[in-house]
Amino acid sequence: MYFSLFYEFFKIGLFSFGGGYATLPFLYNLTQIYNWYTPQELTQMVAVATITPGPVGINVATYAGMKAGGMFAAFVATGSEILPPLIIGIIVSKLLKKFSDNFYVQASLWALKPTSCALLAAVAIQLFCSNVISAPHKILASIFFTALLIYSVVKNKDPLILILISAISGIVLLKLI
Amino acid sequence: MEKRVSLAEIFFAFLYSGLILLGGGYIILPILQSELVEKRNWLTADELMDYYAVSQSLPGLIAINISILVGYKLRGKWGSIVGAVGITFFAFWAIVLLASVISNFVDNPYVQCAFWGIEIAVVVLIIGAVREMWSKAVVDIGSGVVFLISLLIMLFTKISPAYVIIASAVVGILYKMIERKYTEENK
Repeated sequence: MYFSLFYEFFKIGLFSFGGGYATLPFLYNLTQIYNWYTPQELTQMVAVATITPGPVGINVATYAGMKAGGMFAAFVATGSEILPPLIIGIIVSKLLKKFSDNFYVQASLWALKPTSCALLAAVAIQLFCSNVISAPHKILASIFFTALLIYSVVKNKDPLILILISAISGIVLLKLI
Repeated sequence: MEKRVSLAEIFFAFLYSGLILLGGGYIILPILQSELVEKRNWLTADELMDYYAVSQSLPGLIAINISILVGYKLRGKWGSIVGAVGITFFAFWAIVLLASVISNFVDNPYVQCAFWGIEIAVVVLIIGAVREMWSKAVVDIGSGVVFLISLLIMLFTKISPAYVIIASAVVGILYKMIERKYTEENK
């Protein structure tokens, strides 16, 4: 298992472009290959990662490792996700300016950015189906989703506040009404 | 002569930045601006912006990449390693501690109701991240087509995201090479 963890998270470190959330398509994909965690657990991991200190991507990687096999597995997962950027970062540091202006770097990023965005959009659609459309109390879930989406677009993008509001709303809507 | 920054100083600067990095994603830049540029004068605001731009074009997490690049500037290879470990430290231990605690509460009915709401909020958060990425990624018709094809592949096939990423990079390079050739011929 440790080797699979190393291999999978090394791949995430090497192929994810665009920050913490960009690792989610890979983590989602792992739910189809291994029994480390379920898609629903992944959603909960993202929520916990958002409200704990540190880069979300590291939080989620550590959490995935914990689920897969405890603390040492978490260490392997987190470490192997940082390894490729460390190697690449040290190499790139020597040719910093030239790297960003390089034709091939620019050309591949031109396609990599929309692809990374699409990978995450696919996860959003899949989680929308499982967490909203097929959730318990689907109609209430759909209304709450729409309200929260509008609120996040118009008023507030702070993830912490969104998580807090939704946790309280969940208890109020399902328990007290 | 610039004073040499010690590895311990680099570690603690990134340790602290990691601790106050809450909610994730796009607040790393203002944090590093205040910690590294304003408080410690280790680099200029322009340099930080350059590192940020390069961090976004490298694979992996942006916060980790920028720590590696700044660490390297300050103290070379060891600076990179210390910077990356520093910013990761609290993120790792917070989860290791929380993961074992949370599993005791998951069956509580109130916690389950809270999670019903939180799971919906996570979808909203991810949509927010998609919009943020979209605004930088889809800049012309070509990149829109790349987005659409990638999305269809992810939704309707079981191809691993790693292969989609590799294929996308190849397509990008080929497309831009053809485009460059075409514009040169028309000059």
